[in-house]
Amino acid sequence: MTATATPTPTAVATLLPTTTVGSFPKPPSLLEARRKVARKQMGPAELHALEQRATEEWIRRQEELDIDILVDGEMYRGDMVAFFADQMDGFEIAGLVRSYGNRYYPKPAVVRPVGRRGPLTVDWFRFAQGLTPRPVKGMLTGPYTIAEWSFNEYYPSRRELVMELARAIHDEAADLERAGARYIQIDEPAIHTRPEEDFELAVEAMEVVTRGLNAYTITHVCYGDVPKIYPAMLRLAVNQIDLALKNDDFALLGTFRVPRFTKDIGLGVLDAHSHRAETPEEIVDGIRRTLDVIPARQIYVSPDCGLKTRTIDETMAKLAAMVEGTHLVRRELAA
Amino acid sequence: MNTTVVGSYPKIPDAPAPGRWRTSVEKLQRGEITREDLHRVEDEVTADVLREQADAGVDLLTDGQIRWEDGFTYFARGLEGFEINGLQRYFDTNVYYRQPVAKGEVAWRGPITLADYQFAASHSVRPVKPVVTGPFTLAVLSKDEFYGTRDQFVMALAAALNKELRALAAAGAAVIQVDEPGLLVHRDQLPLFRRAANVLWDGVSATRAMYTYFGHLDGLYPDILDLPVSVIGVDFVAAPRNWEILRRAKFTKVLGAGILDARNTRVESPDDVAAACRQAAEIAPPEMLQIGPSAGLEFLPRRVARRKLEALVSGVRLAKGGAA
Repeated sequence: MTATATPTPTAVATLLPTTTVGSFPKPPSLLEARRKVARKQMGPAELHALEQRATEEWIRRQEELDIDILVDGEMYRGDMVAFFADQMDGFEIAGLVRSYGNRYYPKPAVVRPVGRRGPLTVDWFRFAQGLTPRPVKGMLTGPYTIAEWSFNEYYPSRRELVMELARAIHDEAADLERAGARYIQIDEPAIHTRPEEDFELAVEAMEVVTRGLNAYTITHVCYGDVPKIYPAMLRLAVNQIDLALKNDDFALLGTFRVPRFTKDIGLGVLDAHSHRAETPEEIVDGIRRTLDVIPARQIYVSPDCGLKTRTIDETMAKLAAMVEGTHLVRRELAA
Repeated sequence: MNTTVVGSYPKIPDAPAPGRWRTSVEKLQRGEITREDLHRVEDEVTADVLREQADAGVDLLTDGQIRWEDGFTYFARGLEGFEINGLQRYFDTNVYYRQPVAKGEVAWRGPITLADYQFAASHSVRPVKPVVTGPFTLAVLSKDEFYGTRDQFVMALAAALNKELRALAAAGAAVIQVDEPGLLVHRDQLPLFRRAANVLWDGVSATRAMYTYFGHLDGLYPDILDLPVSVIGVDFVAAPRNWEILRRAKFTKVLGAGILDARNTRVESPDDVAAACRQAAEIAPPEMLQIGPSAGLEFLPRRVARRKLEALVSGVRLAKGGAA
């Protein structure tokens, strides 16, 4: 250890810190404003002001809920890949593609060499962190997921595209750290898309992204076959892996018994795609079951996934139960 | 040598127009229209999609699966014995499906795709093939809480879907396609797959097409040549090694050659297509070739899907001219 003033990785001292995965629902006024901007009936400055107001509302709500590590709620994002692709060199939006049901997303296509023109997320991080003394996470989409969820018309191989994106996302993470981010999350929901073929590539890319950072690093993985990348995923160069446990009633705990889970876990205790609010007792039950498998000091409590598809009321009810349940377990552990 | 498609087609037009289908689903969710209203819109979009494929010059069409939320719930909802669970990723795509769960005896209670086929056949200037998700793939992507063994689950589904195929054949479907990409992720289960295929196709008097996609046939070829089908669809884009694998033994079926990348926006040139056709002609004679995309086209924006089909048709024309 050196005597430099680098922040210690774990800035929150409490046991079982609570946090969320990233996105929150946008207020109806902001959704309407986004539609108006798309129809050119509103200018970007007016939209930006509304996004700032909605961000501040979410910071206040998270403080009221007593969440320990906050997010900015991603009021300014349409989609987690397009937000980055839109601002970077090398991408065009190819068009809308269906993901399920009636849900479509603007899928980017890589048509030239990719790269960062300048910071992508730093202004929003600064804005959100400036509103609260609690730590706010810097939020990035990882290189494997950006590549996987884009069409590739330019690079001869996925590897070349992923590694080029990894260098760009590393530069962004370093900028976030310079701006004061103590927690940096690199979302990689697509990381286990081709476990046999590609997991080494995903591991290499994450090494490039987090190389030399002092911040506490998190990666969020969801859907797909997590057991297929276990224990390989413990080699990802991050402090914490955030996972959806509630979705499958904590079945993953069976996987994490042997070999044991050596990283911190972001324990998803709320189903992000159900309307029903979990009860505090369900949260307590989920955490207790996890404590059989993973020590308390390795556990961060969070929802399964971003909550942007829920309503604001549903989100608040779910998060209130999460915090209450977590506090109950904390008291048990302290007793 | 003719041209075909593998299944799905984009349901909505290019941005910024939201499209009738998408707007109508939102209206239905808000209670502003009825389910029948939505069905009418789906009919209109299906007719458009059939016209678009025919205008591009494709020979053998599908209805674009405009009514399908995904290939699994569409059948599970129509069969006896299933409930529907949460979202799952569909193979290595960024497309999701709701997972069917078998809670009881699986049974066919009546036609699922028949009315769709009849609508498409009567609204198309070109022949249409109905597409049915195969019993093996339906089983491996579902959850079984009733049978206890995959063997029993797959065989029950094969018997149920056999009735669907018979109904389609009786209604005049000259070609019926069954999709079985699931075989490629469970390639050790060919014996079960074969038993299921024998039940599935029993008594079905139509040209029988079995399509695989998203992977290679190593370990399955040439064994799959004894399946009771006359067309086998192979994805040469996701797995270029299929070119080599299929040369290991004489190909004795019609080859559904998936040579156009259904999952990338880079549009192939007619020359690219023609070159792939010539390569396919080394595996099967031209009269035994049906050239098409590697998978359903709904992975692409509408404009790109259409341009791909145009490139497909020009390329096949070029290959035919070159051969003459």
